[in-house]
Amino acid sequence: MNPLILTIILMTVFLGTMIVMASSHWLMIWIGFEMNLLAIIPILMKKYSPRAMEASTKYFLTQATASMLLMMAIIINLMHSGQWTITKVFNPTASIIMTLALAMKLGLTPFHFWVPEVTQGISLTSGLILLTWQKLAPMSILYQISPSINLNILLTMAVLSILVGGWGGLNQTQLRKIMAYSSIAHMGWMTAILVYNPTLTMLNMLIYIMMTLTMFMLFIHSSSTTTLSLSHTWNKAPLITTLILITLLSMGGLPPLSGFMPKWMIIQELTKNSSIILPTLMAIMALLNLYFYTRLTYSTSLTMFPSTNNMKMKWQFETKQITLLPPLIIASSLLLPLTPMLSILD
Amino acid sequence: MALVHKLLNGTCILRKCPKPSVALYPFLGTRFADYCSSSLQKPAAVPGKASSQRKTEGDLQGHHQRDVALDITCPEEKPEVSFDKAIKDELKNHFWRLKDDIVNRWIGPEGRPLHEVLLEQARVVWKFRGKEDLDKWIVTSDKTIGGRSEAFLKMGKNNQSALLYGTLSSDTPQDGESSRSGYCAMISRIPRGPFERKRSYDWSQFNTLYLRVRGDGRPWMVNIREDTDIIQRKNQIYSYFMFTRGGPYWQDVKKKLYLYVFVRVYLKYKFLKVKLIPFSKFFFSNQGRIRDAQYQLLLDKISSIGFTLADKVDGPFFLEIDFIGVFTDPAHTEEFAYENSPELNPRLFK
Repeated sequence: MNPLILTIILMTVFLGTMIVMASSHWLMIWIGFEMNLLAIIPILMKKYSPRAMEASTKYFLTQATASMLLMMAIIINLMHSGQWTITKVFNPTASIIMTLALAMKLGLTPFHFWVPEVTQGISLTSGLILLTWQKLAPMSILYQISPSINLNILLTMAVLSILVGGWGGLNQTQLRKIMAYSSIAHMGWMTAILVYNPTLTMLNMLIYIMMTLTMFMLFIHSSSTTTLSLSHTWNKAPLITTLILITLLSMGGLPPLSGFMPKWMIIQELTKNSSIILPTLMAIMALLNLYFYTRLTYSTSLTMFPSTNNMKMKWQFETKQITLLPPLIIASSLLLPLTPMLSILD
Repeated sequence: MALVHKLLNGTCILRKCPKPSVALYPFLGTRFADYCSSSLQKPAAVPGKASSQRKTEGDLQGHHQRDVALDITCPEEKPEVSFDKAIKDELKNHFWRLKDDIVNRWIGPEGRPLHEVLLEQARVVWKFRGKEDLDKWIVTSDKTIGGRSEAFLKMGKNNQSALLYGTLSSDTPQDGESSRSGYCAMISRIPRGPFERKRSYDWSQFNTLYLRVRGDGRPWMVNIREDTDIIQRKNQIYSYFMFTRGGPYWQDVKKKLYLYVFVRVYLKYKFLKVKLIPFSKFFFSNQGRIRDAQYQLLLDKISSIGFTLADKVDGPFFLEIDFIGVFTDPAHTEEFAYENSPELNPRLFK
């Protein structure tokens, strides 16, 4: 794409999210969501193919529906409170509708069906922006209305998301779909703790974004979109193979990697609030996630997968440059000892 | 046993389905096809069964068996009349498939362990060894728009292959809006999961289509459709040509008469040929027109494959298919055979 136009579109995406995060007027928030949606459509269709067109259409339809529901909730809130400032939601109906709208935007169950399809249809870079940047805006609104969210609905959606994210990713061989299901599961973890301690939602979001960024950068570097092509990285760049291992295990939540930190904090916070069964269930369902990450590491890093001579010649394809990979690797694997510094997030 | 009856009597298994309804309402169309083929089978089965049963029993056991009662029915041919039982069976079947689906999901992709799926380099997707394999295909021709081509599908000799045969006729239907006619096609049914959920094939680790066919010299088109949820993409097809060798349609060797006769006779009983078509060669077309902007065939969501004959030559045709598979050709490195040019499609290069 023309670099000037690409810059303008990316700036609009950035501006849309910033408007959502920084506004105090409900209408500006809605405008920010729409700006974000309209500007990200050309990003999703950057590498045009009929599949990318289908993915962008699905994304647009679901996000536009969610924006419509959000607008309805805003208007009901206006009716009952008489003012546009985003403080708390004054009516339970408006709160429920707003929660459902934001769940659609995030990709929580039962509104998760678009996430694997859209992520699979677009290029790796667009998928990266979709799964990391696009989650910031809805999560910030959920953070701001967290005192008035209906706990039952949110917890049901969260637990179902963790289950669906684990179960759905189980026998995928396409890497983008695996990342999509991992995103669904992580969103579940984030929203489960939202009502009890929103700070931990932000922590989980930060760590999740860093880990997903790292994973996508590694996939972009090896230009691999399937498990089979990822299993040939030992041929091309053995160090990348090790990094994939570390980052995947970190995403699975294994101590002593930094992916364990948010899960530990969330389970601790939930047990402090006297819910024992819920974190047990969540931890057990996170094992499904860990299972398919470990299976991916098995075929990629722990075994030298057989490959044809053709694959060994992959050096002739250009290596893509990855920006910021070393700090991202450090951030996604070694941050666990910094847990006592959580208080800076308050 | 029913198959033996039909082959003895020369009855053809008629498998036809109206094309527009299949295209527009794939879900309904598939059901429609089930009812179509089964309802057409039933009248053929009943008279054929009685007469051939008489014939076989008479042949095998001599004159004193001629007075065998005609209303002895074969167990598998008894017509099912109980509606409730059929519904219950259908539900049970679907729940059983759902249970299998859940268990298979636990085992790995498509019900096999992951390492087996990843290491696989060749897979037979469709083979023709029995009547149930024929049920996975729909045969259409231009009869649906009013033309006069006919196409039939039956099992070949010894149940080792499927034979698609018929007559092509390019007489246009006189309905005032069709100007061309004369096509026959065999399309695979979309794979379905429990409760008729649409499924798709994932061939992303393969790069070549492997066909073992015997044709009659006519050029066939292999069409692949991708799985999609939006109806605007229902007519997008990726196609390539499959040229079969030999048969009675050679035009250029007529001069050397002795050679023509020799060649014709020799080729009539030729061996099954293997056709390898790399997926990178498939070109994109929408609504039957090849588009200027060409896109690569993405292999992770394949819905159906089809063979079409539309070469404007009237007359009989046949295509014998042994199996259809996919495999990884290690020597094939091409990703996509066609380029887009800025003159024809400037928006792709902005």
